[in-house]
Amino acid sequence: MDYGSPSNVRDEELVALCQRGERRAFEGLVGRYMQRAYRIALDFTHDGDEAKDLSQEAFLRAFSQINHFDGRSAFYTWFYRILVNLCLDYHRRKARIPWERAKAKEEESAEAEEVPDPSSSADQEAIAGEVKRKLGTALGALPKQQRTAFVLRNHHGLSIHEIAKVMETTEGTVRVHLHRAVAALRQSLAELA
Amino acid sequence: MTQNRKGLRSACKEFEEDLVLYYYGEWGGAELARVEGHLKECVACEQFLEDLRAFLPLTAGPKEQPKTFWDSYFKEMQEKLEVFENRRPWWKRLLPVFQPWAVPVLGAALVVIIALSLTFTKSMRLKSRSSSETLPAEVQTVANNMDFFQSLDLLESIDLLEALDGAHATHDGARKL
Repeated sequence: MDYGSPSNVRDEELVALCQRGERRAFEGLVGRYMQRAYRIALDFTHDGDEAKDLSQEAFLRAFSQINHFDGRSAFYTWFYRILVNLCLDYHRRKARIPWERAKAKEEESAEAEEVPDPSSSADQEAIAGEVKRKLGTALGALPKQQRTAFVLRNHHGLSIHEIAKVMETTEGTVRVHLHRAVAALRQSLAELA
Repeated sequence: MTQNRKGLRSACKEFEEDLVLYYYGEWGGAELARVEGHLKECVACEQFLEDLRAFLPLTAGPKEQPKTFWDSYFKEMQEKLEVFENRRPWWKRLLPVFQPWAVPVLGAALVVIIALSLTFTKSMRLKSRSSSETLPAEVQTVANNMDFFQSLDLLESIDLLEALDGAHATHDGARKL
């Protein structure tokens, strides 16, 4: 299934068609960005159902506001801004990420899927699990700006320039957020050691 | 090698942020050369970078979802978009018809229509006012007959002159007698 998005059509063309009332063109954009949108939401919520709802809500908002998109930035940075703002609102509502619960769920499913490696000892696995858990907790505890910058760079590969556009801030500020986030994550591991 | 008491190694303070950005491939040109030059000389920073390479991938997000998940996600999204579009009021659905170029064109056309209608209504009003300001028929007739009255005046003047002339003649005859 190509999700209604022929690869030779650029985002700008699909947006222009949407602005002329072609809903199918927007479906093309959904097909193109749904996986990344879902993963970003999942990085913020750590809950599959919430991530699905939030990312779909972001698409609906983008669709309703498509006539306000002026093309000064790429479609995906404009869309990510809507999505990230929704995720941050979700955080404000929830006050705290249910990271540990979600992480535990994730680890459970990972354990079920993974074939045991005969070369790795039980101790090594336990340490790796503990490191992941610590990092997850530390990531969840980061201030929202640092977490946003880190997640968009580390998990989704956006450039500093793109993150600055999504977060509506300067590249210098994003660099500082990213550095502080990495420093905080390192610190969480130092406490583990 | 600089190692902190808890096992993680520290980088040179002034290079720490640069190394994070170097890890993410954000540097190019002179900055990249500067960081790489420093890494060749500094074991602590090289090991700090190794730490980043070891632990940052562990923070990465969850695994791929199966294709069936995306199929159902996309189908749901299509349905939601359709419902959303049908719920929009009719005038909002017409909005896309008004393209950005059409707004100034329609605006200019509207201004021209207003200007023309103002011009025409003004001239019609003037016309109707001028027709309402015409003189009454009697006055108009009198005005047309002004020459007649002027000629009557002239006749009266001639009569007067003749009378005067007759009076002079009588006066002269009397004096001769």
